[in-house]
Amino acid sequence: MKRRDFLKGVALTGAGIAMSGGVGLLSKAQAQGGKEDFGEVKSVKVHCISETSWFDNATLGADIKKAGGINTNQYDVAYTKENLGGFAALVEVEALDGKKTKYLLDTGWNNEWMDYVFAKDGIDKMLKNKDIKTLIISHDHIDHYFGLESTLRHQPDIRIFFPGTSMKKSFDLLKGADFSKTPGCPKNNVPHKGELIVTKTDKLYKLQEGAALVFFDAPATLQCRGENVMYCKVKNKGYVTITGCCHPGVVTLFNHSRRNFKDGDKNYGCYGGLHISVFENWDPKFDDLIQGVKALKMTKIACNHCTGWIWAEKAVQAGLPIVHGTSKNLSYKKTGTLAKSKTSNVYIGNGDDVFFG
Amino acid sequence: MNNSNANSNWSSAREIVPRWSVGLSGLANLMVLLIAVFAVWWVFFSAAGIFKLYTPLLGFSLVIWTLLIILWQVELFDFWPFRRSFLQDVHPLAKGAVFTAITIALYLILVIGIVFYVIGQFGVTYFNWQSLVRYGEIGQDVLSTRETASWAMLSLSVPFFLISTWFMFGIGDNLFPELKQPKRGFAMFGLIATISIILYAIFFHPHIGSMFYPKQIYVAVPPWWQGIAHTTSSEFSLGILFCAVVSIFFAFHLWDGFPFNFVQKQPWRFVFFAVVSLVLGYMIFQLQLFVFDYLWGEAYIGANNEMNFGWRYGHTVTMANFVLVIAIIQNAFFGQAYTKLPGILRGIAKTIVAIAGGLLFAWAYYSWGPTLFGVVKGVSHPSENAAALLIMIINLLLIQDYFMDGWPGYKLKK
Repeated sequence: MKRRDFLKGVALTGAGIAMSGGVGLLSKAQAQGGKEDFGEVKSVKVHCISETSWFDNATLGADIKKAGGINTNQYDVAYTKENLGGFAALVEVEALDGKKTKYLLDTGWNNEWMDYVFAKDGIDKMLKNKDIKTLIISHDHIDHYFGLESTLRHQPDIRIFFPGTSMKKSFDLLKGADFSKTPGCPKNNVPHKGELIVTKTDKLYKLQEGAALVFFDAPATLQCRGENVMYCKVKNKGYVTITGCCHPGVVTLFNHSRRNFKDGDKNYGCYGGLHISVFENWDPKFDDLIQGVKALKMTKIACNHCTGWIWAEKAVQAGLPIVHGTSKNLSYKKTGTLAKSKTSNVYIGNGDDVFFG
Repeated sequence: MNNSNANSNWSSAREIVPRWSVGLSGLANLMVLLIAVFAVWWVFFSAAGIFKLYTPLLGFSLVIWTLLIILWQVELFDFWPFRRSFLQDVHPLAKGAVFTAITIALYLILVIGIVFYVIGQFGVTYFNWQSLVRYGEIGQDVLSTRETASWAMLSLSVPFFLISTWFMFGIGDNLFPELKQPKRGFAMFGLIATISIILYAIFFHPHIGSMFYPKQIYVAVPPWWQGIAHTTSSEFSLGILFCAVVSIFFAFHLWDGFPFNFVQKQPWRFVFFAVVSLVLGYMIFQLQLFVFDYLWGEAYIGANNEMNFGWRYGHTVTMANFVLVIAIIQNAFFGQAYTKLPGILRGIAKTIVAIAGGLLFAWAYYSWGPTLFGVVKGVSHPSENAAALLIMIINLLLIQDYFMDGWPGYKLKK
């Protein structure tokens, strides 16, 4: 007998609610017994604008430790400014009729670095020309959001998808708040004037035919919560997830598509930080994750940022289809200490592209 | 804890009585406990406090080792070197201060001194986060290594906890009746340490050997329980063994020692004690997993947060401790209110109150914990473990009970 079946007859609802703290609810789609169908796209191309959120793990770790550890509020940590970069990606979705739409996923951290990488890839011009009309903030963590001004400077009225669980200070930043008194914390001199879509759990936000956004109320470090995840369904291939940090967990994301989306068991690939061995620390649970991802039978795993080089390296050894990057990142004015060490190209690095189609 | 079947030490021999009515005395103690909990948490543990020890694993390892040290002082060493006259005559506040200071000193000597500095610097790298940084390569930065070393210390405490409870309450002074303190305490401690280190090597060391890249397969076998537990994490062992410990405390605080007092003759009492605690512990562990499966669906390999097998195993310990805290408060502060009830009814009533109170406490913690304790929101947060706070509360409860004779609501009957 399955444990679940066993308990159905005897579980006390009150006990259950207390033990769970009231979380872990099924999605509405599943509860209704239906499966979402948000269409298909021809292809998706993701360009890594920057995945180096910081350049040296030990320096960031020391900053966080000094402030009180990983549970400290992110706005209360004094960061070493010269160590800061940012995460951002350009997602280009090609519709079935060939029309291409660009989305900016995240806006990085250090404005100086973000201005540099935006200029290097022409993102600044795309924003000015409104070739990019949508900014998706995956979550309001330091390295994905604090560089907001670098985007708004070029297009203050850009449409923004913003996680509903973001901190109050993060909402204030949109309006033009200044927290830069604390080193490495943000300021925004260009208040947002465009449409703001605050995402919530259990709702699918359709970006266009074949591409959608789902918000997961997942826990993260430095008192952050929640993450927007982009799903694209590539015709004849399957689902692709595009994440900033993937705090809900990559297996959870594909489990969500399996349970909630039409043809949800067709997993094609993923791009982004997978939030595993973030500081290159290791836990046996991460070995479990390799087994879990293997079972997903993806064709392309394009990872970087908070995935952890160790995990990606181990995943390659375990036979997972990790897409290798080039060495373009080494030509940038700054490179992470990890890239400088004797590591293999298991990351999609700064300036690299990955194509799903 | 009433363990009169096995011990004749001070904690079993003394009698404490309410200073006022049971209700008023209990409420007074509850108030004092609450003040102490908030003060200690915000000064020593909270990320917004002064010492910021709740990282969370550093704080967790600290409270669990201090709990063990408190129990050893009381049950293994019977407050040695202090005489009965000291225990009987000195003001509870003074006694509390002295024994708490000894607890902290012993923690510093045993855990920080011997385990962290001596063993961690000259023997086992992973017990000292500075050694990990010094000798380690990629990923061995202090933010991570502090958690690794704390996890190792926490893991080491679990078999010590289980074997200590077996020896303290399953054997007591039956094993070395001819020895006086401190010889008896040291003899018992030697046996406890020997067995605990063996269990640690089997149930936890494989996990820690897998915490590095590459896996340290020449010093630790890869986690052998993977096929049974669906995870390589030793949270599986931690869950079962810790629930076994909790079952013993449940028995003494809720059921007047039942079923452990069924067998009195040694060595069968000890064997019975050990086997029953493991069976009860496994039942508590497994029952909770059933509930988690019902609430969240079945866990799957490689999942995060509440869908992860390892997290669920660890969460059984957290939830069991929510109930245990209420069970101890009920027994220590209001236990005498139940004396008129017949035995079975008393056990049932206390159990219902403890479970209902524990679940209510859990709900309150996860709802208001961020405001009251400055912890992060969420049940399955990767850097949050309510068990640290709960064991800290148990520490304070035991300090108040054992070291201070239940002051202020209770006093020693002379």
